[in-house]
Amino acid sequence: MSDDVVIRTHNLSKSFKGVDALKSLDLEVRRNSIFGFLGPNGAGKTTTIKLLLGLARPTAGSAEVFGHDIVGDTIHVRRRIGYLVQEPHYYEYMTAREILRFTARFFYRGPPTAIEERVADTLELVGLADKADRPIKGFSGGERQRLGIGQAQVNHPDLLILDEPAASLDPMGRRDVLAIMERLRERATVFYSTHILDDVQRVSDTVAILNHGELIAKAPIEELLAGTRGQTVYAVEVRGNAGEARARLEAQPWVLDIHAAPNGNHAEWHVSVSDDDAAESQLLRLLLADERTTVTRFGRRTYKLEDVFMDLVEEHTNGH
Amino acid sequence: MATSVPLQAASSSGWLVGFRNVVDKEYASWWRTRRWLTHLILWFVVINAFIFLVGADGMRRHAPEDVLAELIEVFLRVGGLWTAIGIVVSTQSAVLGERQLGTAQWVLSKPLTRPAFLLSKLLVNGLSFLFLAVLIPTVVFFLQTLWHALSQPQLGPFLAGMLFHVEHLVFYLALTLALGTFFTSRGPVSGAAIGFLFAGFILPNIFPSTLEWLPWALPELSATAALGRPLPVIWYVPVITTVMWTVLCVLAALWRFEREEF
Repeated sequence: MSDDVVIRTHNLSKSFKGVDALKSLDLEVRRNSIFGFLGPNGAGKTTTIKLLLGLARPTAGSAEVFGHDIVGDTIHVRRRIGYLVQEPHYYEYMTAREILRFTARFFYRGPPTAIEERVADTLELVGLADKADRPIKGFSGGERQRLGIGQAQVNHPDLLILDEPAASLDPMGRRDVLAIMERLRERATVFYSTHILDDVQRVSDTVAILNHGELIAKAPIEELLAGTRGQTVYAVEVRGNAGEARARLEAQPWVLDIHAAPNGNHAEWHVSVSDDDAAESQLLRLLLADERTTVTRFGRRTYKLEDVFMDLVEEHTNGH
Repeated sequence: MATSVPLQAASSSGWLVGFRNVVDKEYASWWRTRRWLTHLILWFVVINAFIFLVGADGMRRHAPEDVLAELIEVFLRVGGLWTAIGIVVSTQSAVLGERQLGTAQWVLSKPLTRPAFLLSKLLVNGLSFLFLAVLIPTVVFFLQTLWHALSQPQLGPFLAGMLFHVEHLVFYLALTLALGTFFTSRGPVSGAAIGFLFAGFILPNIFPSTLEWLPWALPELSATAALGRPLPVIWYVPVITTVMWTVLCVLAALWRFEREEF
């Protein structure tokens, strides 16, 4: 495995009582990325994470984390991972400090003073220093989630796996969690599952989308937001008699499709192109060649991740 | 805060990685919460207070040597029954509770092997329970016999009886932990274990040979040995088979837990 690849799966599959929860997943996660793992409920995100951690066994296929096989070498895998479970539950009689100390002792033999220092640093990082010695029985959801992130990174893992880290949080809690994730990226790869698409758009650099156990997209986020499946779409607003301009565009080999929607005395076109360079240099010129056509707006269409996600998932679901 | 002393990474390997850490955690769950106090009071009331009532009644009606025999018999038979039920009830959630709550999933995502997780439960629950429900009540019982019967049991035979009693309890601990890996709710775990305990009062009347190959003869052996009375000729057979059943329960638990998916 290349040093640059942290997670690599080959046809990784998992079935539960004949139902395929994950189908032949091939995935690569690169070092120091914040990798958003998206999908609707039941898409197979948590199953994938559990397989990587040795909490479940693959039905077929294999995977390596830092070059270690996830089945045969699970202890070595887990030594380099920090994991935040979707709904964290801890020993209620323990304090936050005790939880972190207990977690740290799986990774470090000592000395005790150094472990205590690491625990104190972690409490500071996640903003729980003032509640460190309170039993977690009385912690709010947000405090539990901070503690969850703390225990996941107390060993300074090379890979941080977070399963829905912000799902149960209010907007303030979400903001704090995302801020912590961004701080952690300096020293770790972050692989996290979520269905809060705004969060993904804000912090991720690479995204994979899973639906019904199948990987339906994987790309750097800019690529995914620029257009779907290698296409670029230009949004153009035109006024006047634009029939000839449209015909001229349709004659170009790099124009794939023109979707037109009337908008008052304007028309809004979405022009899908296969050759971005050609479109960039010729598209506007071709439109303006006809004096009867006025272009009131022109630009590359930017997608929200939500649009891309919905588009891909619906298309994949309908194709089933 | 800057780390001034470098941390030493844990690098152990093998099938008990993480064992020491979970053992410490299990001890904390007994001794750094009120659990120990609850058990201490419970077993003092259930065993020693009951012995006090029996002894006070016996003192009025019997000679001291008869009172001593009665107390030993009650201590090991009645106390033995209660502690067997107690070990089932107090450990029924040891594995199952962690599976249900999700703490097992969390802790097993760390460098911890499943045998280490399970065996820490067996070790710490066993030692803590035996300390609170057997050792302390036994020490108090020795003082009580001085008060009620003006003498104490003979140490050798009594310790032999206690060994059978402990073996009986360890079997029920192993059985409960094993059931906790197979079932997904508390009812079947405690129901099956306590049901098996009570079956020992009925089934040997129909199938006497079960006393030889199941642990049901141990309470009787325990009382007989503690009273210094002669043991049956083949007393060692249920002793050996109970050890075998205990080991089998532990192996079954390890086998099942290794296949558990979270």
